[in-house]
Amino acid sequence: MNKILSLIASAAVINLAAGSLAMAQDGPITIGVQVPTTGSEATYGKDMLNAVTLSANEINADGGLLDGRQIQLVTGDTACDPQQSVNAASRLASRQVVGVVGGYCSGATQPTLKTYGDANIPFVIVAANSTQLIPANPGNAFMINSTGADQAKTAVDFFEGKGIEKVAIVNQGDAYSQDLANLTRDAWTEAGHTVSAFEYVNKGEQDFSALVNKIRSSGAEAVFWTAYYADGGLLIRQLRQRGFQGTIAVGDGSNSPELFNIAGQAAEGVFAFSNPTADFLPAAKQFIGDYQTEFGNAPGPYAPLAYDGMQLMAWAIDKAGSTDSDAIIEALASADDQEWLAGPISFTPQHTLARSNFVVLEGQDGKWIRYEE
Amino acid sequence: MTWYDSFLQQLVDGLVLGSFYALVALGYTMVFGVIKLLNFAHGDLYMTGAFAGFGGLSLVSGFLGAGWLGIFVAMLLAMLAVGCLGVVIERVAYHPMLAAPRLSILITALAVSLVLQNAALSLTGGQYTAFRTDLGFGGFNLGNLFLSYNQIVLVATAAVLMIALELFVSRTLYGRAMRAVSIDKDMCRMMGINVSAVIAVTFFIGSGLAAAAGTMAGAYYGSIWYFMGFLIGLKAFTAAVIGGIGSITGAMLGGLILGLLESFGTHIPFIGSEWKDVFTFSILILVLVFKPTGLLGKSEVERM
Repeated sequence: MNKILSLIASAAVINLAAGSLAMAQDGPITIGVQVPTTGSEATYGKDMLNAVTLSANEINADGGLLDGRQIQLVTGDTACDPQQSVNAASRLASRQVVGVVGGYCSGATQPTLKTYGDANIPFVIVAANSTQLIPANPGNAFMINSTGADQAKTAVDFFEGKGIEKVAIVNQGDAYSQDLANLTRDAWTEAGHTVSAFEYVNKGEQDFSALVNKIRSSGAEAVFWTAYYADGGLLIRQLRQRGFQGTIAVGDGSNSPELFNIAGQAAEGVFAFSNPTADFLPAAKQFIGDYQTEFGNAPGPYAPLAYDGMQLMAWAIDKAGSTDSDAIIEALASADDQEWLAGPISFTPQHTLARSNFVVLEGQDGKWIRYEE
Repeated sequence: MTWYDSFLQQLVDGLVLGSFYALVALGYTMVFGVIKLLNFAHGDLYMTGAFAGFGGLSLVSGFLGAGWLGIFVAMLLAMLAVGCLGVVIERVAYHPMLAAPRLSILITALAVSLVLQNAALSLTGGQYTAFRTDLGFGGFNLGNLFLSYNQIVLVATAAVLMIALELFVSRTLYGRAMRAVSIDKDMCRMMGINVSAVIAVTFFIGSGLAAAAGTMAGAYYGSIWYFMGFLIGLKAFTAAVIGGIGSITGAMLGGLILGLLESFGTHIPFIGSEWKDVFTFSILILVLVFKPTGLLGKSEVERM
């Protein structure tokens, strides 16, 4: 029964694809949106889909692309699962999409790179930012979110700007926070400074007094916590409670408002590195308002990047002057620091964002505000 | 910091940490003393105590504030509530099993632990709950040594509770009955001691002390979650073994020693703080191998 159903379904898909081929010259331009709309990350996925939709609607209202052709979106649900994401990618590819925008979970995005690479479909990756995506990129994908290496660089610039020499780096032993800690340690020593302590804490441990002592006796002027907010809040609290007066900075896993609940007043004056969320982007005021009216809630953390991803794709199609894949990929590669919602975009030869888009936040009165040096 | 300042700072930290371990270890050792059960649900009573203290503080902070007075009252409420919970657990889960083989009751204890943990997981959704208080981060410097008021109050409270327990066990009729029951239950029954009531009192006190530690930990560290009792449960067990399981003074001593060992152990060169737990549980193995009775335990205590 299922087989018959899927046969009918694929027949329908082929028909649709054939139909769109037939009117390829003047029909709508189909863009795939690859996000998790089910599963654990569905909240973020739907938020990104909303932002892409908003973006496409605006372009369509302005007269569309390539002399009046409208953008039509097709969603591929990855469920943040590598297997399901490959299915979603194949489905999008079989529908002859002109380009794909999306990609949230790095693990689920990585296998789709090959699918789109084989089909030679331009792919703008808006959120996924593992450094493992870089070598897996066959050349048709472009990452507009900064990677862990960029965050490490942002951290180094920030500490240098504060005139700090000795930094203690603490992570939680998981792949994400350890990666960021290693990248930061290497970048910091390469810049000629000292990592006075490089430690990790056991998850679920509440007492960090031994660690705090070690940090204090190492003479660290700053502490960089690369893991998540729950344990980060505990560490910040104990650092301050026990008289550590230096600078404290946390990575993007800890920039949640929850940090203030756990760390209390100790979180005041703590710095955090963050991807560009709408609240901290001066250019995003209009976007926040439009999003709110359209969808009834505030845009989530990756909405601005998703919006930019769609705009960038549209810009590249217009610049290419056709829906030809190679021309669009060439146009994307030539992105030249034009200013978008989340900042300027241009790419390195590896198709990663040339400039770090991380912003520095500071905790004040129980919330994060943008920190300007 | 010189090595001397560093030494003093670790001493203070060890005492704070040791106070938590000691309070929790007492419950382990008392229960083991009277019914020869390793109550593996004890760490979860500590966690339940933290949530009860959190609930208590939300109740009383309206008129008492969330400062020391409010926390103190919340702690008493939590001790009362969790003490009663301990008695209920004993009546429902352990009492019917007392005559069963020792392994059955041990498995029951693990089940109780899972029940408490998963109940808390369902109720909180696995999220960290912020334990908000009005306690500041004040303190004073003695040379390079930093002492916070919170630490001082915490250690003092733990000391008062332990002294009170020691007095209760050594000076009161119930305390004497408790000691008697731990030596020979059957003989006590023949002497007209209500063994069942003594066991209930033991569970009440042991669970109450865990709740006190839980509430203090919540207020001191600032957040609580359903899994917070697991590690400290194991460490308190280690402390009880170091001191000699079954011995009340031993549990206090074992807690403090373990706290100090952890605090100093992480400063041995080439052993980072990530090795802390390896260090702790290696001590457990060493004690069990070389001095299974612990520091103050009696050799005739039957072991599992």
